[in-house]
Amino acid sequence: MSLFFIVIRQLAEFQAMASSKKVITREEWEKRLSNVKVRKEDMNKLVMNFLVTEGYVEAAEKFRLESGTEPDIDLATITDRMAVKKAVQSGNVEDAIEKVNDLNPEILDTNPQLFFHLQQQRLIELIRNGKVEEALEFAQEELAPRGEENQGFLEELERTVALLAFEDVTNCPVGDLLDISQRLKTASEVNAAILTSQSHEKDPKLPSLLKMLIWAQNQLDEKATYPRINDLSTAALEDPAV
Amino acid sequence: MPTSATSNHPSRPEDLIGRLNSAHTPYEAKLKALRDLKNQIIGNRTKKLAFLKLGAVPSVVSILSSAAAAQGGGGDNREFYESVLIQSAAAIGSFACGLDAGVKAVLDAGAFPLLLSLISHLNEKVADAGARSLKLIYQSKRAPKYEFLQEKNMEFLLSLLNSKNENVTGLGANIITHSCQTTAEQQALSEAGVIKRLVSLLGGSINQKDASLESLAAMVKENPEVSAKFMGPENGRALNVVIELMKDKHPRTRLLACMCLISIRNTSTSYLQDSGIKNTLVSVLLELLDDPGPVGDEAPFVMSSLITGKEDMQKIAFNANLIEKLCEHLNVGSYQAKRLQGIFLVLGDLCSKLECCRDRVLDLQKLEVGARHSVLVSLLIILNKVLHFVTEALAHDSAEVRTAACNFLKNVSRSVKNLSAGQFMNEAVAVPLVQLLCDSSSSVQTLEAQTIYHVNQQILVLLLTLLKHLRTSGRIIGLAKSRFSHYCMSFDSAPTVESPLQLPFIHMIAALGAISNVVVDFMAHKSVLMQCGGVKQLVQLSKSMESAIRVNAVWALRNLTFLVNYRCKEEILLELTSATLISLINDPEPSVQAQALALVRNLVDGTLNSINYVFGEDGAVLHAIARQLRSTSKVEVQIQGMYALSNVASGNELHKEAVMNQLLRQAGNDAEKTLVKFLQSTDSQLRTATLWALINLTFPGSPGTCRRVTELRNAGIITQLKNMVNDHCLDVKLRARMALGQLMIFGDSSS
Repeated sequence: MSLFFIVIRQLAEFQAMASSKKVITREEWEKRLSNVKVRKEDMNKLVMNFLVTEGYVEAAEKFRLESGTEPDIDLATITDRMAVKKAVQSGNVEDAIEKVNDLNPEILDTNPQLFFHLQQQRLIELIRNGKVEEALEFAQEELAPRGEENQGFLEELERTVALLAFEDVTNCPVGDLLDISQRLKTASEVNAAILTSQSHEKDPKLPSLLKMLIWAQNQLDEKATYPRINDLSTAALEDPAV
Repeated sequence: MPTSATSNHPSRPEDLIGRLNSAHTPYEAKLKALRDLKNQIIGNRTKKLAFLKLGAVPSVVSILSSAAAAQGGGGDNREFYESVLIQSAAAIGSFACGLDAGVKAVLDAGAFPLLLSLISHLNEKVADAGARSLKLIYQSKRAPKYEFLQEKNMEFLLSLLNSKNENVTGLGANIITHSCQTTAEQQALSEAGVIKRLVSLLGGSINQKDASLESLAAMVKENPEVSAKFMGPENGRALNVVIELMKDKHPRTRLLACMCLISIRNTSTSYLQDSGIKNTLVSVLLELLDDPGPVGDEAPFVMSSLITGKEDMQKIAFNANLIEKLCEHLNVGSYQAKRLQGIFLVLGDLCSKLECCRDRVLDLQKLEVGARHSVLVSLLIILNKVLHFVTEALAHDSAEVRTAACNFLKNVSRSVKNLSAGQFMNEAVAVPLVQLLCDSSSSVQTLEAQTIYHVNQQILVLLLTLLKHLRTSGRIIGLAKSRFSHYCMSFDSAPTVESPLQLPFIHMIAALGAISNVVVDFMAHKSVLMQCGGVKQLVQLSKSMESAIRVNAVWALRNLTFLVNYRCKEEILLELTSATLISLINDPEPSVQAQALALVRNLVDGTLNSINYVFGEDGAVLHAIARQLRSTSKVEVQIQGMYALSNVASGNELHKEAVMNQLLRQAGNDAEKTLVKFLQSTDSQLRTATLWALINLTFPGSPGTCRRVTELRNAGIITQLKNMVNDHCLDVKLRARMALGQLMIFGDSSS
């Protein structure tokens, strides 16, 4: 991503110049910034990358039409991926598993951890719905063999089955499993696995760019005073405090 | 009444299969059953095995076959048939995924050509499904070998690699990774322009990069020519691309880039030798060891290929604290077999040459558990633990773990510093070792013969390394002893594997000072082995079909019998029986013959009782020795045979006469020739051995010596001896003079 390096290089130059803490005025800073040429296509690619990875299929389609940026992936696959994610988020884990298998049977066959977590989520949903008998049977038939294969799975399984031991599950030590955040965690794991299987980065590039910006500013802080970006949502330059 | 599958209640495997097989099931229901089956088995090993047992694979393959035929005939139901093709291909692929038994079933059911035909299907989803399943099959060792050398096959492969479909190019790459083995195949692929295509795939998606790196590694492996071509100008900056990929974001890509570079590196001593690359390879792989998934499982194997046999790389890895990292992993424990195998493999490599590595391993474990020998004990506990895994697959894997662990143990035990402290031979080590030997032999049904062979080989070598330590102490006793007798001890080094360990000189002096103690110790060590059934096992193994095992087993017995008391020998003899001994002497393999004769040589060394042993059953053993001596052309066999006879000849009059009989009288002119031939041998050891026999036969003071001297004279031995008094080999020279002297005592009465 050329944009990264332009920003980094620029910041590095400042760094090199600043032997003691140098003050850079707003005008000077803006002049320098305007000297940095960022290609519009690169910006668009970044946006598209974000929309695709996060699964905003309609926005991606609109953006494609408006900007002419081609996504690096078939947009139809986003719909499928989102359907899987949504199924997990709403507790229809079995449905999600079938959808993943239709999408690409290799994913769950070669990713035991993900498969276990989906099955675990299925068990959690059964317990949530008060289907105790069924939950026990499912844990025995489907999950116990996985626990035998892997010590880590066994521990997680034990924790999950412990849910059955409490009257008031919302207030028990393993209650967090019933939390909606557990569903979201599983959903994002599936999402990442599908993206990886499609040779796509599992994280969008934009957040890393922001991380890099923060890192670079922190580095620069030691050498210079300059108009900083403090509010990332507006990216407003703030006058250096002299 | 149809059974309806509720969402949380998967249908029973038997019912599902019933519906798949029944001619009465409507097509739509069959498709649903197929999809059900697929969703049940994906990711679920237990279910795969259950369905496999019920014969699900042939059913699915036959559905695939009829759907392929039906849609070939055209018709309205195209979409339906395509769904059947997709679902059945996916189910077949899942059976083949990560399960060798599944791959076998799939191949046996004839799925392979059907799947191949799907690749060119117009519906991309069908093509995808077919390519994916084939890819999974080609990830197994059981997949059929692809014959690149046939022109049509090469064309087909190129069409796969040039496909726009990522699964299809992936399949092409997997085929190369799986089947490209010989130099000719590598060459053919290279000439067909495959390298260029693979290099272009390096710029593709993550999956394509990975597949391409793996195939490239297979193509350049041990092939300097293809390597040179890859590095050559026509592939431009391909090498730089791979070097860059070592720093890729994805762990798997980093691992495969390392693997590819190591493959190139290992083809020539001049490629990729700068310290930058060396350090990067080590540090990237070191980091990958921490990966919790399959990448972390494979990383040790790649590391091993980087450092095995290369001292400079071992040193770099040592300095990068690889040993600390591995021991950390080992102490965490609870790893699957493959990870353990890899860790032991690398530890074994590191400890193969560098003393600093052995030292570090032992020191780390000392810190960890408090007592130095605990590392061995804990290792053996792991070995034993793994041994008790019940399922077939794990037993297979664990055998490899045991092999790797044994190899590591063997290499660590070479540590001179620690050896001299006498750490390695105590009951805590010996008992589990012999136990291992027993267990692996009795589980023949569950383990592949090859693996067993390998494990036993390793254990034997390990045992022998331990014994050799004792032999070094024994050598000192031998030196002292030879001053008082004319026995010739079996001091020559072991026939194979590695050079014997040498105790530092200072230890030798200390040992000499405490010879009596050493003898006690020496005996104690050996009896530990005997008490825990080591002899029985070794005797069993000496009857193995595998000649390498026989050699090692007899070799171990031979070392065991070296300088032990008669009681121990008797125990060994009782177990061994003279019939076995004779058949070993007559073994088709010369190396076994030599070891068996050396065993006899040790057995008859010492008291008259021992010598009497070979006289049992009408001197059958002695007879066998002499016969072998006359017929063999192998010097190693001749040497051991002569020494054996020479030790017998050191006994009483009866013994000397028997040897004389075998050597001279029995075979008439032939024998004369044998003796003279041996004395004229270019091998100084054989000359020495023969001279010792003559010395023992003509030892003054025995009643029949005079007669024997006369006979030897008549056989023309004197002339021969006179030619040897100035032999260039000092040992021969001295023995020849000694023999001549003894012969002369009885005067020149005949001349």
